[in-house]
Formats: sequence, C-alpha cells, structure tokens
Amino acid sequence: MIVGERKPFVEICDRLQGFKKVLVLGCGTCVSVCMAGGEKEVELLASQLRMANGLKDGDVEIIEATIQRQCDKEYIEPILEKARECDAVLSAGCGAGVQLVAEMLQTLPVIPALNTRFIGVALGEGVWSERCRACGNCLLADYGGICPMTLCPKSLVNGPCGGSKEGKCETSPERDCAWMLIYERLRKQGKLDRMRGLAPLKDYSAQSHPARQVNEAYVKAEMEASHSK
Amino acid sequence: MRAKKRVKQAKKLLEEVGLEADRVEMFNLGASDAPRFASACNEMTERARRLGPNPLRKGRKA
Amino acid sequence: MGEDFEPKVVGFCCHYCAYSAADLAGSMRMEYSPNVRIIKLECTGKLDTLHLLSAIEDGADAAFVAG
Repeated sequence: MIVGERKPFVEICDRLQGFKKVLVLGCGTCVSVCMAGGEKEVELLASQLRMANGLKDGDVEIIEATIQRQCDKEYIEPILEKARECDAVLSAGCGAGVQLVAEMLQTLPVIPALNTRFIGVALGEGVWSERCRACGNCLLADYGGICPMTLCPKSLVNGPCGGSKEGKCETSPERDCAWMLIYERLRKQGKLDRMRGLAPLKDYSAQSHPARQVNEAYVKAEMEASHSK
Repeated sequence: MRAKKRVKQAKKLLEEVGLEADRVEMFNLGASDAPRFASACNEMTERARRLGPNPLRKGRKA
Repeated sequence: MGEDFEPKVVGFCCHYCAYSAADLAGSMRMEYSPNVRIIKLECTGKLDTLHLLSAIEDGADAAFVAG
C-alpha cells in the first residue's frame, strides 16, 4: 500500500488560513489502512480543526467526507458539488489523490493533509516499512523476494558490500544488511548458488517519469463503444 | 488495551490543538472497585477545577 | 466563573467493570464528585478517540475512560 503520514497540525492550520469553509476529504484505500487519511482520521482532524477555530473565536466551517478512492474519477464525482460549496478542500489522500481531486475541481484550492511516504507493508500495529521503489523492472525473483534496490542504501544488485557487519548495515547498527537477508532467504530456499552469479547492471530505463500505463484491450473497446453510438 | 491507546492518541491530538492533555485520562478498574471509581471521578473533577473551564465552552450555554 | 465554576466531566464506563463499580459505589452510599456524567459503553474496546475529542469539542471540561 501507499503509506502516508499526517502533516504537522500547525502546518495544516497555516495552509488553511483565510478560508471560511473547508471540506476535509478522506480516502478509504491505502491511507485509510495506514491510519493517516481514512474516515476515522478525517473525523479526528475535522474535530481538531473545529476546536482550534473555536479557541481563536473563528467562524470557519469545517465539513467532512470520505470517499473510497481519491485516485479514481468516478469516486470523486459524487462529492464535487459538496466541494464547490467550500473555499478549499483539505485532502487526506496520497499525492496522487490530491492531484486528481485538484484536477477535477480546477478553480478550488486543494491542500494536502498528508506527506506521502512510500510503498510499503504493515509490520505490526502502527508500524510500516518501505518495500518497493516502483522501479518498473522487478527482479525480486532473483533475490528470494527481498528487494535490494529498496532495502540496500546503495541499491546494490550484487552484494553485500564491505560495509556489512554481523548482518547489519554500516549506515546504521539498527538497519539489517539487505544482502544478509537475501543470503539467508536463498539459503532457506536451497538457492544459494544464485549468489555465485553476477547480476548485470539493472536497467532503470523503465523508471522514466511520469510513467504511464495503457491497457490496449480496454482502450480499444472504449473507442469502439463510442463509435457505435 | 485498546482504550488506553485511544486515550493516548486523544491526548496527543488535544495538545496539537493547544488544549491540555490532562483533560482526558484512562483508569483501569474492576467491577467491584467502587472506591477506585469514586476516586477517578474526584480526580478528574479536581483536574478540571485546576485547569479551569474548557475554553471551548465560552459563548455556549453550559 | 472562577469561584463558582462547576466542572462538567464525562466518564465513559465499561458496562462490565466500571459501570458495575459505579453501581456498587452507589449502593455502598459512597460519596463522589457529582460533576461526572456517565456514558455506558458495551466495553471500553468500543471507545473511539473521537468520543473523547467530541466531548471536549462540545465543551466538557474533562473526560475519562474507566474499565
């Protein structure tokens, strides 16, 4: 999932200065699971904003809504009318969500409530860890399901380097050496011979930005449907 | 316990707004712990007296 | 205000423990602060952070959870 973190409250208040009616918009997908921008967090943030406004004797109106996904137009459409009654939208979605909401509203300022951090996994309650860089050329099959591009600070495709000490990385004694993890995993899988091979330089050309993906079958079907109308 | 985490979270959120975290608290007690219940009520009332009225109550009919 | 300030306190109580304790305190004729308004929860596990924030947002001077 995409992991996000709520921005500091003071920063959010700062950005909202001058607006009289604000829609706090949550997203029910990734940022909901990482407890940053879902329905619950939006309720709490809206309550905090109302309290802060009350303490200042302000007259700002805060309304709330949470949609299933802010990265899909069809989910945003139903709240457009509600949003247009406001001076600004405070989006608790990831960076992609904020941008699509802003694109659909055009004239209305859309302010991010989160910092989008990474693509990762939940390690336990309240702990998330980065796992994927979205490099567009996945080589996990070679590394026992552990990504050295993400977990090794040098993104080494052949490792470990000389900085690996007792399973830890030289950058931090708390950080596991990604290549130590890969070695252990391959050993468990009886695939240690993979360590002997030399991996070629990784092709990063697939990581061009902004990336775009098209499913021809769907696009063609859509075009045919509109022609036959 | 879940409630404890949520009280902790509420304290943090209140502090961000500029309100006193001490206005909310968690007490663990058993079904037969009447004295502890009474002292929890007294403790929170005392705290409220010490902290003064909730600034959000002004203008509102209490 | 000042001298005549009577705090309003909200107490969220678990049906199975704190609420019974409150009941017992009553039948034991114990004296405790009359400023507390009790709200019964099925279980404190049901307590949402928002319950506490809403209590304060709506003007309670203090709120606690007992269970």
